[in-house]
Amino acid sequence: MPTETILSKIKERLPDAVLDITEFAGEHILHVKGQDILKVLTELKDDGFHFLADLTAIDNLTLGGFERFAVSYHLLSHKTTERATVKAYISEEKPSLPSVESLWKTADWQEREVFDLYGIKFEGHPNLIRIMNPDDYDGYPLRKDYPRLGRKERGDFPVIDRPIQKKKRQE
Amino acid sequence: MNHDDVKSNVLTTTLESAINWGRKNSLWPMPFGTACCGIEFMAVLAARTDISRFGAEAIRFSPRQSDLLIVAGRISIKMMPVLIRIYEQMPEPKWVISMGACASTGGVFDTYSVIQGVDQFIPVDVYVPGCPPRPEGVVEGLMKLQDLVDKEKLSDYSPAPTK
Repeated sequence: MPTETILSKIKERLPDAVLDITEFAGEHILHVKGQDILKVLTELKDDGFHFLADLTAIDNLTLGGFERFAVSYHLLSHKTTERATVKAYISEEKPSLPSVESLWKTADWQEREVFDLYGIKFEGHPNLIRIMNPDDYDGYPLRKDYPRLGRKERGDFPVIDRPIQKKKRQE
Repeated sequence: MNHDDVKSNVLTTTLESAINWGRKNSLWPMPFGTACCGIEFMAVLAARTDISRFGAEAIRFSPRQSDLLIVAGRISIKMMPVLIRIYEQMPEPKWVISMGACASTGGVFDTYSVIQGVDQFIPVDVYVPGCPPRPEGVVEGLMKLQDLVDKEKLSDYSPAPTK
């Protein structure tokens, strides 16, 4: 069954969840509401897209879109070698959506990465803590309104002097 | 023992130059390799450039057994507390080589998470430029450091004022 047929059938089955179906560069994209992502991906997994190739997020601050944030799921069917992209839209006020860790174990660390860099919370995730930035880090650096050079985090360390003064070092 | 034996067997020098001679020809490096400079540092150790010719072949991965910290690679804000702790664990006397553009200035990584030069926070003696530096460059830096060690005066080693 071609990808566009699978996606349009999902739209028939879950009319409230699906916002739009688009195509770009030969790849089919299913736009859904964030709260319904687990239902949609369960259906897609049953339809043959059983491999989660990537999970990432997009900040639509300057791009425009259904909502501020989109979590993007890249699925692959090993049987038909077809690919499908699912974008789940969530608002800036409540950036949270269900975790898909129950479907794919690989989503565990990828959802932690999205949480670390975008501040998107995944409900039901077993261990939603920062994965790359320091635990006491404040802010979500890949959000478009975060300054590129940070908020002086990189200069915020104690300056260590030489324990023994070497006065004539410069000569 | 006659006078000729004394002339041919006894060397007189100052304690300072004897100590500096020993220190500079027996540096014990602690590599802090976080990126491609760390890979290049392995080439410095290997047969072609071979820093054992300069007495620095005893690479220690414990700061407590080393006196030369070689910072090789970019240091992120998560790694900087680790680097500071390792520097503080090294016993005196100790020296630091900042190897490559990233450790010295942050290199091309002008972002929120990369330290723009480790010399902002720990004292650095020798900077080796390059991205990454060639092994010959690191050996040049090591020889420059040996010159620095040779010029040190024991009288300069006075305890820092207590705060």
